[in-house]
Amino acid sequence: MADPDNRPFAIRQYAPDQLREALRRMYLIRRFEEGAEQSYMRGLIHGTMHLSIGQEASAMASCIELSDQDKITSTHRGHGHCIAKGADVGRMFAEFFGKETGYCHGRGGSMHIADVKTGNLGANGIVGGGIPIAVGAALSAKKLGRPDVTICFFGDGANNEGAFHEALNMAAIWKLPVIFICENNKYGMSTPAAYATAVPNIADRAAAYAMPGVTVDGNDFSAVAEAVHNAIARARAGEGPSLIENLTYRWRGHSKSDRNRYRTKEEIEDWIAKDPILRFRAELITHGILDEAEAGAIEAAAAEAVEQGIEFAKQSPAPSVTDVTRYVYAEA
Amino acid sequence: MPVEVILPKVDMDMSHGTLSAWHVAEGELVRQGAALFDIETDKAAMEVESPATGYLHHVTAKEGDRIAVGAVIGWLYAEGEEVGPAPAAAAPAPAEEPAAKPAETVSAPAEIAAPVAQTDKIRATPAARKAAREGGIALASLTGSGPRGRIQGSDVAQALAVYRQPAASVAEWSPQPGPLAVSTRGGEGVPLVMIHGFTADSQSWMPLEKAMGRARPLIRIDLPGHGKSPRRRIASFADLARMLVEAFDDATRAHDQVHLLGHSLGGALALAIADIRARKLTSLSLIAPAGLGPEVDAEALTGIIRASRAESLAPWLRRLTASPDTITDDYARAAMATRRDPELRAAQADMAQSLFADSTQCFDLRPALARLETPAAILWGREDRILPARHALAAGSECAIHRVEGAGHIPQYECPEPVARILARHLAGAEATAG
Amino acid sequence: MTTREISYSEAIREAMAIALDSDPAVILMGEDIGTYGGAFQVTLDLIDRYGPERVMDTPISELGGAGVAVGAALTGLKPIFEFQFSDFAALAMEQIVNQAAKLRYMLGGEASVPVVFRMPAGSGTGAAAQHSQSLEAWFGHVPGLKVVQPSTPEDAKGLLLAALADPDPVLIFEHKLLYKMKGPVPEGAYTTPIGKARIARAGRDVTIVAGAIMLHRALEAAEKLAAEGIDAEVIDLRSIRPIDHETILASVRRTGRLMVVYEGVKSYGVGAEISAMVAESDAFDYLEAPILRLGGAEAPIPYNPDLERVAVPQTDGIEAAARSLVRGEV
Repeated sequence: MADPDNRPFAIRQYAPDQLREALRRMYLIRRFEEGAEQSYMRGLIHGTMHLSIGQEASAMASCIELSDQDKITSTHRGHGHCIAKGADVGRMFAEFFGKETGYCHGRGGSMHIADVKTGNLGANGIVGGGIPIAVGAALSAKKLGRPDVTICFFGDGANNEGAFHEALNMAAIWKLPVIFICENNKYGMSTPAAYATAVPNIADRAAAYAMPGVTVDGNDFSAVAEAVHNAIARARAGEGPSLIENLTYRWRGHSKSDRNRYRTKEEIEDWIAKDPILRFRAELITHGILDEAEAGAIEAAAAEAVEQGIEFAKQSPAPSVTDVTRYVYAEA
Repeated sequence: MPVEVILPKVDMDMSHGTLSAWHVAEGELVRQGAALFDIETDKAAMEVESPATGYLHHVTAKEGDRIAVGAVIGWLYAEGEEVGPAPAAAAPAPAEEPAAKPAETVSAPAEIAAPVAQTDKIRATPAARKAAREGGIALASLTGSGPRGRIQGSDVAQALAVYRQPAASVAEWSPQPGPLAVSTRGGEGVPLVMIHGFTADSQSWMPLEKAMGRARPLIRIDLPGHGKSPRRRIASFADLARMLVEAFDDATRAHDQVHLLGHSLGGALALAIADIRARKLTSLSLIAPAGLGPEVDAEALTGIIRASRAESLAPWLRRLTASPDTITDDYARAAMATRRDPELRAAQADMAQSLFADSTQCFDLRPALARLETPAAILWGREDRILPARHALAAGSECAIHRVEGAGHIPQYECPEPVARILARHLAGAEATAG
Repeated sequence: MTTREISYSEAIREAMAIALDSDPAVILMGEDIGTYGGAFQVTLDLIDRYGPERVMDTPISELGGAGVAVGAALTGLKPIFEFQFSDFAALAMEQIVNQAAKLRYMLGGEASVPVVFRMPAGSGTGAAAQHSQSLEAWFGHVPGLKVVQPSTPEDAKGLLLAALADPDPVLIFEHKLLYKMKGPVPEGAYTTPIGKARIARAGRDVTIVAGAIMLHRALEAAEKLAAEGIDAEVIDLRSIRPIDHETILASVRRTGRLMVVYEGVKSYGVGAEISAMVAESDAFDYLEAPILRLGGAEAPIPYNPDLERVAVPQTDGIEAAARSLVRGEV
């Protein structure tokens, strides 16, 4: 978008407080993921988990305009979305530690982290599982006359699932207020998106469903924010869904079992050099939103919040083993 | 501040890992991200990168060690940082189990029963098994009317109906643990311990129990190889008497004093018990006791033991009574039902061999009878054809002898009313004397 | 409440109309449920009465459609999703089994998925292997789902209204051969409790548990047996998950014999569950004969009418099996 003052979209669009809060949440995501990794290595977290280090701009810029009434559906790589949508990291850690105080009372863990009260309908362990659900949430908004939009996160792997195609088609024919955000981090587990997907850009899929499709630099906060802003405007205006492809990269392996055999150290280092947080931070400093000391304070506060979160989770009680069937059905 | 090197969790189910190789020797410099050591888990081998740049010190794990996840295995010191004693680990190594393990506590592992040879098993419906369990009747003793001889609930009900006449309910009896089957029924006063005769079982006391009415506690002992007792083989009368003394001691432990009643072989055993447990006994009652002379109608015993059907059992049972009419066909069927278990018959045949070899009572309780100090009474049917009533004449001057009119070898079954009256007087008298 | 005779499909339609009238959150979704009226004419004219905003034709996208219904239920709507044939639910297993059934649990009770799936099921229409199955046991295996199987028009209406009132996902297996069956149905709104079986015929000699079309075959067999002096108790199962343990166990304790009749493939099915339930309970002690299962053949539903007939239990087979069970021939 052409702009007379030449400043990036995000700087023009959002208030300084909003931008500082966005930076804070991006640091919170980074420190949270590192804290989770540390806790996992110490055996405090069992199962597995999928870290989103390197994808913070995609998560945060996509959610910056959302209220608690707006919904998101997330993926197995969903910690960042959850924090971007406003979740408390203490309750998230508690969930990862399997504690009763966790968002899912220890029943879901990393792969099902959710915070229904802030509109996060949950991470999903099934690739593409959340896509039709997001369309259903958008259908609810439309039928019940609510102004909410739904943001549907999924990875590049999910764009080859049948659910993706069926859901995009339905969202389009019914003009539903949903924004499909593909976080293309280049690999579905180990399979390159370029190998597995017939079109060069996943956003090209949008043409098949008569909706706008754009590919943006997913590590550029402002670029993501602008694309999502336009899609939300279109959705709220009743014009239907959009597809946005954020090109990004996960610094870590697919999950904790990943041996990273399918990519090179050089490639990983290239992407680490494109750190979306440092980039956004520099942008904010350049445009006078904050200075170096303020940025440092935000970063330190995030680290502090994560430490407190881990402590809260450690101290929290585990669920009672007699409650193994609790929450299967509604309680009378 | 040195940086700790821990053994990281690298696999989903990993609780321990084996340190297979160090890439850096103690004291050497390692850059962050460079290979520091290799670990092996059940599933994979993996290179672990150095968490920081520094000199490796305080290495606690050597190659080949199996180490818990999260354990500190060394420290990295920055250039110029002073290497003192090993610091304390920042976090307690392998911390608490993250969550409870509901599955392990909720579902017990399924146990697979070893296959059982078919011949050991009785074909019976669950309803029949339940009825037999509650009725105290051995399934092995019954013939099934269902397909392929399956015992139905109705078969058990029928057997119990016949068998119980005219007895009181079996359900009020509670079994007692011990090597021999002992069942007790509660009541007021000095308990009466009852030992049945050869080839009978505790249930044979039912008519007498009914005639006696509910008063004193009753303790019934099944002989080995009889009733619900194990099918144990015995080598001699002494062997048998030893088992009964043990069972008697176990069964009467809670009581200071008891009355003792025995019939036939049970009478001989009661005498043997009285001989060594005189102080425990208020009275002794013997109905047609064995062991007071050599003669015995072994033919009848063999006939009973050998019988495999009601028709072949009935004639021998009729020899036990004064009036053949006492043993109806139904009674014979019910009695055969309790004798259906081949192991029971084998055990009794074996016992007959050692106790009644060559048609002779091979054990002599007359010395015991002579030594008897306990108030005693002997009851004998006038028409006993199994053991001669004249054996009672071995009794001493203080022992009462009652000849029961109209009764054969089992007066307690044939004439329960007079037998109950005699016993009531005898027991009351003994209690009065003792009191 | 007045009662009149209407058909099973009319009863379902009446229930949907009551729901659409009383709750603006209720919508109908499914393939060809609008102007076409549904493959079995169950929705018939509802589109004319409630319009396409509430009676939504979906594209032929079972997985996506079911998922949209799940997402809508998660966020405030109460969708009734019709599968054209319950066989097609195989395309949507992901959303039914991994999502609808588990969302409440995965989210620690913080979410609710009040969706209703209508599943036309069963053989007898010549539709062969992919349009005739009875797959209710598949879903009965999944905690988080509720699975019901109405046998009468009255229950078809009552169970659908109960399903809508239920905060959890409910699958209703409607037997295609029952759609035209008429029976007494009360007017107005009422619910048939989910999880309660019904003693359709009291008897003392044998308990026959059956659902859907099999209930009617079992009742017919029971009447024939009654002429011979054999008095069968017939239980209308109604609900597969949760299952009514107590009604079945109490009946077995009375009769001492159990036969389960169902159209799904015999092995690993509803019959196995009920048999095991009795074997594990105190009712076992009352059994006077082995438990019998009469289920579908270990084969897909065939096309040839004679083959199709023998592939699932029929009245004569039920009658013969019950007779031999009571006579002690088994």
